Amino acid sequence: MALLELEEVRAGYGPTSVLHGVSLSVPEGQIVSLLGANGAGKTTTLRSITGGVHWTGDIRFAGRSLRRMHTEDVVRCGIAHVPEGRGILTELTVDENLKLGSHLRRDGAAVRKDYDRVFEYFPVLRERRGLSASTLSGGEQQMLALARAFLMKPRLMLLDEPSLGLAPLIVRAIFEIIRTINTEDRVAVLLVEQNARLALEMSSDAYVLEVGRVAVSGTSSELKGNDAVRRSYLGY
Amino acid sequence: MQELLQQIVSGIATGGIFASLALALVLIYNAMGLVNFAQGEMAMLATFVALALIDHGMNYWIAFPVTLVIAFAGGIAIERVVIRPVERAPILTLVIITLGLATLINGLAGFIFGYVPRAFPSPFSVQTVNILGALASYQDLGVIAVSGVVLLAIYMLLQHTTVGLTMRAAAHHPEASRLLGVHVSWMLALGWGLASAVGSVSGIMVAPILLLQPNMMQTIIIYAFAAAVLGGIESPLGAVVGGVIVGVTVNLAGVYLPFVGGDLQLAVALAIIVGVLVLKPNGLFGRPSVRRV
Amino acid sequence: MLQRIRNSPPRYWLVVVVILFFIGLPTVIGSFQASEWAQVLILAIAIMGLNILVGYSGQISLGHGAFMAIGAYASAILVHKYKMDYLVTIPIAGLLTGMIGFLFGVPALRLSALYLALATFALAVVTPSLIKRPAELTGGVQGIILPPIDPPPLASDAFTAVTGTAMTSDQWIYYVTLAFALVLFWLAWNLVRHRAGRAMRAIRDGEVAAAASGVNIAGYKTLAFGISALYAGIAGSLFGLAVGFVSPDTFPVALSIQLLVGTVVGGLASIPGPLIGAIFAYFLPIESNQWVPTQTWIPSQIASTVEKAGPAVTYGVVLILIMIFAPNGVVGLITAGYARLRRRLRGAADRDSGQMPPDPQTG
Repeated sequence: MALLELEEVRAGYGPTSVLHGVSLSVPEGQIVSLLGANGAGKTTTLRSITGGVHWTGDIRFAGRSLRRMHTEDVVRCGIAHVPEGRGILTELTVDENLKLGSHLRRDGAAVRKDYDRVFEYFPVLRERRGLSASTLSGGEQQMLALARAFLMKPRLMLLDEPSLGLAPLIVRAIFEIIRTINTEDRVAVLLVEQNARLALEMSSDAYVLEVGRVAVSGTSSELKGNDAVRRSYLGY
Repeated sequence: MQELLQQIVSGIATGGIFASLALALVLIYNAMGLVNFAQGEMAMLATFVALALIDHGMNYWIAFPVTLVIAFAGGIAIERVVIRPVERAPILTLVIITLGLATLINGLAGFIFGYVPRAFPSPFSVQTVNILGALASYQDLGVIAVSGVVLLAIYMLLQHTTVGLTMRAAAHHPEASRLLGVHVSWMLALGWGLASAVGSVSGIMVAPILLLQPNMMQTIIIYAFAAAVLGGIESPLGAVVGGVIVGVTVNLAGVYLPFVGGDLQLAVALAIIVGVLVLKPNGLFGRPSVRRV
Repeated sequence: MLQRIRNSPPRYWLVVVVILFFIGLPTVIGSFQASEWAQVLILAIAIMGLNILVGYSGQISLGHGAFMAIGAYASAILVHKYKMDYLVTIPIAGLLTGMIGFLFGVPALRLSALYLALATFALAVVTPSLIKRPAELTGGVQGIILPPIDPPPLASDAFTAVTGTAMTSDQWIYYVTLAFALVLFWLAWNLVRHRAGRAMRAIRDGEVAAAASGVNIAGYKTLAFGISALYAGIAGSLFGLAVGFVSPDTFPVALSIQLLVGTVVGGLASIPGPLIGAIFAYFLPIESNQWVPTQTWIPSQIASTVEKAGPAVTYGVVLILIMIFAPNGVVGLITAGYARLRRRLRGAADRDSGQMPPDPQTG
């Protein structure tokens, strides 16, 4: 059974609907890419999962329906969502942002170990611990967001365009760590990306959205190998 | 010179009273961008509760924390019942609701306890002690000490506990906080509870001086407005500093400016409010606000 | 002609009926009741002023009682010190208050809605102590007692011809108040229908957008403050006339709250709203105070407390409930109900004629 399943999900903002019946699934411990042009509904799909928009259809996480659940309760089920714009609390320090990631956990010893790992992945965050998060650069903020999500000890991470606006070198580093977290901790990832090539390299399965519907889906290697799909949907 | 020092000490004591109420205003402002016009009346009601407890034979120093707990619960209850349904309403709606709340609580207190002013006990004697040449009353020093302890406790809670951290997070970025599993709506309620408890300290401290009756806080809330605005309405530290400045200023103006005297001290507070809002709207410690479109 | 009258919307008929009602009212009620209704009309004028400010221009004042105080004292001082005719002083008081309001509107421009609420509330609390200070001008705590005014012979004779009784001072004051109320309501109606009203509403609904379409924001916001204060000033002046004296305690914070209650209950941005709000805000505490002592099961001690605490409790409850459940006030409820009723009636008629009713989603 898949960890996350979306079944005919329709969603929108007020009178305008964005998703017209999206079905997809993320298996336990796998990375799944969600691709598509701007405005195709990728972000709205993620926001539906964590209850940020009103939706119909069904969304199940670990066999349990998320219908009518508030964002904070969905998150407490084990889903970490790094939203568009990263959701950094710029009024707080780096350390406080990290603490907000782990504040619900009661396994003190494991938390301390996870902090050590976070600082091992992102040494810059250890240096900036006491500083206001607003002083971080874009790449550092993305690292902070990812580190904070990791500290939530989720079973599933929803990542909304982690590469947006970052230098290629930093993108490489961040994706490397996403892969490490995925393999070492068996954290499943639903990855929304503009950079399709990069995303398909990472993921096992992929879905391509077009105006609120799944246009193409399959294993990442299938999609990579299909020139027609690549040219018409992925643009490379 | 000696008299000036004395006036300053008693101004600081009054300022501590204003600071508690101003801090309560700041807590709710930070939680939801709202000035709670009912803050003073909530404090007044809590003070009546404290008096009832003491009248029933409870020791002052037990009645004090018990009252704070009751005020805390009351603040949460008010938020859940009255504010929750309109959490996302325009600010004008919220302001009018808190004003309605103020009127309602004032009327209820009058209904239950009557309008006859009552003496309220003070644990501190009015005897004076000589500090560096200035005579300060134990009453004033006690008020300063109690206010100081309470303000410090709030600071510790906000800055050094997980609850305080989640409260601050919810206040600044409700959406991002929800994604981190923070129950934002409950944080608002908690903010109201905390504000209610802190505010009631000012009521309990001022009651021995002004005598307790339903309109007791009507002027104190204006001084607290002045303190909060002066400090920068989003800054807890500003509320404290603003409270002390307003307390000292008003006290000195009342004594040394003949045309102000006792009955125009309130006008000094008004002048501070209007002056700060027009000249330096962010106050001493506030951040410049971004105008939303 | 007949056709035009028959086709005119029902609300015009309603206006005519209401005006006739208020003109005829003193001929069927006693002199004391006439003075009560004069108070209602005075409140209605002040509430209309507040409504222009809050409902149409989107600013707020929790201290409109202070503007009433200015108007009342202006008239009282002109009458008392300079022996002017009271009726002459009313427009002067209005204009003076309007000018002060206009000037007040300039710093108010810099304040957000919340800060404006805070500053005006502080003003309302401080006003009584400010009034007391220049004692030789304002009479200090005692205030100023005003000489009673007698109805002019013409009005008195006309009144006697209709009712057969002599016109009292209260009845004459009622008619003076009614005349001002009619003119001011008519002016407000014209204001909100035309350029200035549209500009103010545009500002209320979004300043940036209004500025983009060329509306002079600062100008109209201060203008709204000035007009609003003018209404409050005239109301205050009439208030002094009706009560017969002015004192600092005539204008407590509670008065400002009463005005706010009236505005909110009647409904923001509505012309009939202030009248309904005024009737409510005036009679609610009086009625509840008259009702409680008649209830023998309520101990007299509680009853006397209720008399003092009752208005505050009821005002508070009403403010909260209205803002939660009917933010558009009574007029909003009525128009929403009327629209629903008409839709239902029209739907029924359309079904009868075999046509499809318009889809409410698209309509």
